[in-house]
Amino acid sequence: MSDILEISELGVVRAGLPVLERFSLRLESGESVVVLGETGSGKEALLRVVGGFCDKSDVVTGTIRFGEAEARPAARRGRPPIRIAYLPNPLSRPLAPHATVLSQLGRVVARKMGSPLGSAREELRLALERLPGGVTPALLDAKPGKLDAVSQAIALLAATSAQTPDLVLADHAMADLGPSAIAMLLAALAEEKKRLGFALLYVTGGLQPPARLGGRVVVLRAGRIIEEGDARRLIGGHAHAYTRMLFKAMPRLTLDRPKRSSARGQPLLQVHGLSFQPGTSSRDGITFELRRGASLALVGEEGSGRHAFLRAVLGFDHPPSGRVVFDAVDINILSQAMAARIRRRIAFIIGTDDSLDPRMTLWDTVEEPLRAHLNLSRDLRAGYRESALTRVGLASHQGSRPVGTLTAFEKRRLQVARAIVGAPLLAVIDEPLKGLDAFARTIMREVLTDFRLAQGPAFLVVTSDLSVAQALADDAMVFKDGKLVERGAIVDILKQPQDPATRALIEAVSLPDLSQSPAAV
Amino acid sequence: MSAAGEAQSLLRTASRATGWTGLGLVAVAVFLADFLARAPAGATGIGRMLEAPSEAHLFGTDLLGRDVLSETLHGLSETAIHAFVGAMIAILVGSLFGAVAGRFPRPLAAVLRSLFGVFASVPALFLTILAIGLTARFYAPIMAGLAAAPLAFVRAFDRVDTGSTHAEYAKATGIAATTLLRRDLTYEFRGNFAAAAARALAAVAIILSTASFLGFGAEPPARDLGLMIAAAKTSYLAAWWTAAFPALALLVLVLCARLAAGLEEGERP
Repeated sequence: MSDILEISELGVVRAGLPVLERFSLRLESGESVVVLGETGSGKEALLRVVGGFCDKSDVVTGTIRFGEAEARPAARRGRPPIRIAYLPNPLSRPLAPHATVLSQLGRVVARKMGSPLGSAREELRLALERLPGGVTPALLDAKPGKLDAVSQAIALLAATSAQTPDLVLADHAMADLGPSAIAMLLAALAEEKKRLGFALLYVTGGLQPPARLGGRVVVLRAGRIIEEGDARRLIGGHAHAYTRMLFKAMPRLTLDRPKRSSARGQPLLQVHGLSFQPGTSSRDGITFELRRGASLALVGEEGSGRHAFLRAVLGFDHPPSGRVVFDAVDINILSQAMAARIRRRIAFIIGTDDSLDPRMTLWDTVEEPLRAHLNLSRDLRAGYRESALTRVGLASHQGSRPVGTLTAFEKRRLQVARAIVGAPLLAVIDEPLKGLDAFARTIMREVLTDFRLAQGPAFLVVTSDLSVAQALADDAMVFKDGKLVERGAIVDILKQPQDPATRALIEAVSLPDLSQSPAAV
Repeated sequence: MSAAGEAQSLLRTASRATGWTGLGLVAVAVFLADFLARAPAGATGIGRMLEAPSEAHLFGTDLLGRDVLSETLHGLSETAIHAFVGAMIAILVGSLFGAVAGRFPRPLAAVLRSLFGVFASVPALFLTILAIGLTARFYAPIMAGLAAAPLAFVRAFDRVDTGSTHAEYAKATGIAATTLLRRDLTYEFRGNFAAAAARALAAVAIILSTASFLGFGAEPPARDLGLMIAAAKTSYLAAWWTAAFPALALLVLVLCARLAAGLEEGERP
């Protein structure tokens, strides 16, 4: 097979700091290479250089060769001599909000293929037909804001495929989608690669792509290649210590984990006949009890009803029927002021970056619950603050730094620090690892586990990833299409899933490469 | 940050530093006006009318034989103090009402925002003249401040988005609405007070001077830069210095204020 891409001694210096150093890579036709690294490892700079859109202020050294063409300086911008398709992440909002998805993608395909718009749309339609998910051109005749992320991801993949590219640059293409959606899309991408024979350069901070796509993996850290090798070998544990640490965050389900009793302690949250869908009676409602220090995961795909149920449980939405008792108080009969008092004992750790006020400083953010709810001296507040920040690894950060300048990983840990000082009875943890790279996911899991062990709050975890649910909770409720389809201890659910929805969730996080490897990390 | 972004940031920092330094010098001139002026305010001289700038009178004399340097310093002093009062009223009233209105229920808040948007689009000079007509010239700085307040209202309203995720997050953990309001006001004022004050100062200075120039603002014997420029209308062609130096003083005041605000899109009176 011939080389489609050869990068030699690539270096990128941005604002005087090296972003990528002495990076070399050869990619053959039809081959796939996954570039794996945490945020800031230099993946984005690599993609920019290969795509020909590196920043003018970057100092780029080294050479790059496409196909049979002569090697050229990597700093040269402009269209490469081979057909390169770019596959972005739908959550990074790559499409303009005011035009329909169909018209935008049709124009992209037409421009890349040099064909009329009509035939480009036909190519797009054919590509959509080949892909799973049932997305049609009629569905795409809507603005991006009207479409869910999975449909957009399928549309972007179809547009990529319709370009019949020589090389596909996938930029965190499926990050932050649910595990089932990622599994489906990666399988579709692999299928399209096999059919069209394009080479694939996939940069990611997640671990699903290397595990599902296989092929070669290049591990980047701080702009340097840590190691390069076959995905199976690296996942199997025969790898550099850093790579092994990254793969620690790999989704995994453990069937032999001892079952912990959820019947310890006093009842904290008692839900009786709660229905969260309009038109249902209390007879169809959900009844459960969460004891102090216990943990429960609400598992399901996006739109399965987990959040509607959670909002009803916490009293944010008034449920059609049912009763919720939190810490021996019926929260549905409370005034707003009283409900606010009760909620002081609930902490939230949410997988979105805008849950903290970006104007507030790091110290103010942590101290706010103490100032708002308790009358403590300044020294005492500072003591609690420092202790919490130390536990999440943010104590060395400047306290006057605005939250808006922190990274997603730092913001997530700051939420935990804020939760720690509040000494909550219940911690609601909603997609806690969303948007984090493999390294950050590993640390975040440890931070949350430490929080639970040290403070002992009950955990109510909302996730679409059963492996996250198992890491943070003992029991689970599985939701599908607005209904509770299965409940019980997670170990039991994993051993004997009763519902197809549960089986699909298990399949989504079961990685064959990993389970076949005897030396799994 | 890209090179263009860095250059823009550097330019903004430099302009702010220059603007605040200039405003500091204006403040010194205001406090030391009596000391710096070579003649008492309003002292006329029958035999020295319309004298060109000379060693005796650095800025020349006007139609009544008054020293233009002394008159300009006193005029700058009065205009700057009135503009400062008006600017404080504009940002305090506008920001406070904007931040409070930002917490109203969404539909009501949207109506209010639109209403104030329309109000803000009317030139503040006309509103000031109308308000002066309904009250008295004495209240001109207050009226100019109130006329400029809708712009600060719209700004504060846009920034205080109580429906944002972080506000929902804080409410969900039992943070009271009053705490959130205090937080918004603190951060708004801490983060934007200086820039907003400088912007409003420039706007109100132009409104007041223009109103005085047109005859609706200050009237003799008050010293106001707009009034001085208006008084020089008859003598300007023969004695350029009678209008040029007061106009230059007004330009310095407004330019320093706009530079101090970081050359952002400002309120247009």
